Amino acid sequence: MSMKKIIGITGGALLALFSAQTAIADETLKVGISAPMSGAAAAWGLGFEYAAEQAVAKINTDGGIKAGGKTYMLELHAYDNKYNAAEGAKTAQTMLNRENINFIVGSIGTAPVKATQALSERKGALLFNTGWGKSIKGPKYPLTFTQMNTPFEILAPFYGYIKEQHPDAKTVAMITPNDATGQELEPVAIDTWGNLGVEVISKDKYERGTTEFQSIATKIANSNADIVDFGASPPTDVGSMLKALDVLGWNGVKVVPAGTSAGTLSKMAGAAAEGTYLGASADFTGESASETQRKLNAGAMEKLGEALNGITISSYDAVMALKKAIETADSIDPKKIAETLPTIVFESSYGPAAFGGAEVYGSPQQILVPVMITQLRDGHAVEVGRISPAELKERLK
Amino acid sequence: MLKSNPGLALCILIALAAVCFALFSGEPYYVQVVIWVFANAVLAVTLRFVLLIGELNIATAAFFGIGAYTTAVASTILDWSFFASLLAAPIIAGLISALFGWVTLRTKGPYFLLISFAFTEIVRLLYTKSDVLGGNSGMIGMFPPMELDAYFPAIAITLLAAIMFGLYAAERSNLGRVFKAIKNNEDIPRSVGLNVIGLKILCLVIASTAVGLAGGVNAYTNSVIAPADFTYFVAVLALAYVKIGGEGHIIGPIIGATILTLAGQLLHSFGPYENIFYGIIIIGVLLLVPGGIVGLGERFKAGTFIGRAGR
Amino acid sequence: MELQVQLLMNTLQIGSVYVLFALGLTLIFGVMKIVNFAHGTFFTAAALVVSSVMIWSVDTLGMPIWFSYLIAFVLALLVVCIIGFVVYVFGFQYVLKDLNGSFILSIGLLLLLNGTYLILYGGVPRSIPAVIPGNITILGASLTIQRLVLMIVATIITLGLYILVHRTKLGLSLRAVAEDQEAAMLQGIPYRRVALYGFLIGATLAACAGALMATVTPVTTVIGDDFLVKAFIIIIIGGLGSVLGAILGGLLIALIESFGGYYFDPSTATLVMFVLVVVLLIVRPQGILGHAEK
Repeated sequence: MSMKKIIGITGGALLALFSAQTAIADETLKVGISAPMSGAAAAWGLGFEYAAEQAVAKINTDGGIKAGGKTYMLELHAYDNKYNAAEGAKTAQTMLNRENINFIVGSIGTAPVKATQALSERKGALLFNTGWGKSIKGPKYPLTFTQMNTPFEILAPFYGYIKEQHPDAKTVAMITPNDATGQELEPVAIDTWGNLGVEVISKDKYERGTTEFQSIATKIANSNADIVDFGASPPTDVGSMLKALDVLGWNGVKVVPAGTSAGTLSKMAGAAAEGTYLGASADFTGESASETQRKLNAGAMEKLGEALNGITISSYDAVMALKKAIETADSIDPKKIAETLPTIVFESSYGPAAFGGAEVYGSPQQILVPVMITQLRDGHAVEVGRISPAELKERLK
Repeated sequence: MLKSNPGLALCILIALAAVCFALFSGEPYYVQVVIWVFANAVLAVTLRFVLLIGELNIATAAFFGIGAYTTAVASTILDWSFFASLLAAPIIAGLISALFGWVTLRTKGPYFLLISFAFTEIVRLLYTKSDVLGGNSGMIGMFPPMELDAYFPAIAITLLAAIMFGLYAAERSNLGRVFKAIKNNEDIPRSVGLNVIGLKILCLVIASTAVGLAGGVNAYTNSVIAPADFTYFVAVLALAYVKIGGEGHIIGPIIGATILTLAGQLLHSFGPYENIFYGIIIIGVLLLVPGGIVGLGERFKAGTFIGRAGR
Repeated sequence: MELQVQLLMNTLQIGSVYVLFALGLTLIFGVMKIVNFAHGTFFTAAALVVSSVMIWSVDTLGMPIWFSYLIAFVLALLVVCIIGFVVYVFGFQYVLKDLNGSFILSIGLLLLLNGTYLILYGGVPRSIPAVIPGNITILGASLTIQRLVLMIVATIITLGLYILVHRTKLGLSLRAVAEDQEAAMLQGIPYRRVALYGFLIGATLAACAGALMATVTPVTTVIGDDFLVKAFIIIIIGGLGSVLGAILGGLLIALIESFGGYYFDPSTATLVMFVLVVVLLIVRPQGILGHAEK
């Protein structure tokens, strides 16, 4: 927590005190975030917190949220879950039992999200998450909602598009980090490639934090795969692998379904990254981005030095969904809001969005936002395809 | 025994008070904090127990994890009852530690330190590669049965407190004295015909059994466990508790765990500053208060004693 | 055949940096009998300095890349030496030969320094422009010229250290202290000063490794952690305190990483390294070239 923020919070508290005395007090609604803010994944948590802050600030300056005849001002509490289950359980306890937060507007990391869910569902709190596992949703967890696209949404349209562009590609080599996200993505990816008639000839895992990628690159280059699918590898690692592949003279189709940051990738690998397809790196600077996204992105660049991505911007969308659901339900009861969420259309950073996905998950708990396929050209992410979910189109009619 | 040992009586009172707090306070968050304090205290106490024979056992983290995974497997896959799945944790952790100790305790000092570090990493990597154990996502769904749900915190605190009293008793027994003798100079116990390696293994097994039970309790407390919860860093923090509280007496690690756990809760939303704070505390205490808080207390006592004698 | 050459070349590329890093760790252990868990932070600091200085001087000042790298390299070594000196004088000199004390001190430093780096540098990885662009093919194996130069520089530094330890008076004192500190002191060797030199040389070696790696890999504030874990394996295999052991161990680990990563998968190769360590310690507790504990 920066000094500025502490002063900000103290100032806010004082302000709240004064306004309480003058008895024109607005009610406060606490919302929480649980994300890694130290260690290797720190950049995600910090971007995530930033996007949520912006949403909260926007709502508060616009006059808060109105429900049940009262006006609520949002107050954001962000906690570091260190990307593991034990700390996830601690942040969950702190949020739900100490701060009595009923709305978790964002959580990152499969293990900590599951740890949070174990408590949030029992406590009756709403949990927005970025978890990629299928097991995180379903009728068993009525208060859990996923705030971004997952492999089940991304892979079919994404791989389909690539196969269309490269009909001759017959083989793919998979490489993904040995972490929860990688393990959850891999089987879905293998199935999806199989359905398209592309054979998976190798699947490798590496430990997060690895800095040397020569052996993987040699293996891929030697397998002569037409496509390399980098799975859930973060852009930094993909950059290193692309550089090594380039040296070895391999030049095939490069695919990064979880590729969140085209900018980082291009900076890391330069020319070696040209032509790479990215599944989760919406281009938030380009003309296809919404006004809101461009503004959020510019702000994040200035404050954090990194562009937002599909994961980090999702906390903005969750806050917006929450606002709309509270106002529609005219209540701040998490259960009522959870029932309302699948029925509303709200204004996300992408434009109008909704919740659906009952066919895949058994209940409508998945955000419906477009899948954006981008390709790196001349060092920039260029949007080459935008596939709006059929369900969303149906709802917007 | 209690009359001659007012400190022990006080500790029993505190433990009873904690159990009562868990039963009657109705403050779930603070009850949870009490459980964390007790769990961390057990980690520190078990780490210190192996320090009695002079070895720094990073694998404390591994056996904590083995206990947690054992309980998770027993309760979610094998559908064992609550108490049976808890009981399995110390047994399995103890058995594996016997094997581990039998193989590794011929090494000492930095070699044992590093081998226990490597073992911890191996065990963690094995979890990530096992589909049955949920890979990197870990295991979910360890809930105490409905009828016990309200009493679970009290049960957890009772078990964790019992572990510490048990280890205290073991340290005060003849066995504890032999352990300390091994640390001082293992040739002396050997010269009177004691099986030094066997005794070292015994020490490790006692500690690992204890921390295994704590791991089982941890699985139920968090309901979710994952490989990343059991890195060598768990043992590192436990050593920090030991060092800050003081190594000289079993109460040291307990005090250290209490202070740092509570401080950690206060600092929870401080992001990167949290680590810096821990770093400064660890360095500061190590350099300025070498005996930890217990050492400070003893020096203070000695000081007043000299003061009186001088008068 | 070509494949084997490529894999061997990969081994040397990876291994040369591992050796450099592990040498520092083993030297510090030899002289001070401590296991320095904060060794990775020296590596990280150097890499961070190089990337910050270079991005600034190339982008803002428009300096030529090679010149900017030279300045950055020297600055990185300087910064690490200062950090090393400060942590020695205010910390490590009080815990010489205290295994547990030094361990906990280095953990404290690790937390403090890594946290500070994150605040100063941010969580975003950065990479620097190529100092020497271009690729080269040797016996059918391809690599960047940058990697080749890196290998050569690392080898020269390693040789230099070997000569320093085995052919100079300072080296003699370092070895004497590592062998038997009391006997060395009786011979009139100033132990504390030699320990300081040993520590600073070790830190500088880590800094060299970090400054070199910054040219070929993206720099983050946790970049040293991976190297630290590998280096532990290396020095256990080679024998704590053994210079030659660290060199052989470093190459062995790189060999496993390169060939294991190719024939199995990288994450399995990592597991194999750890298992190897445990097996080796059981068979030969003092490492390949270590001396038995007295």
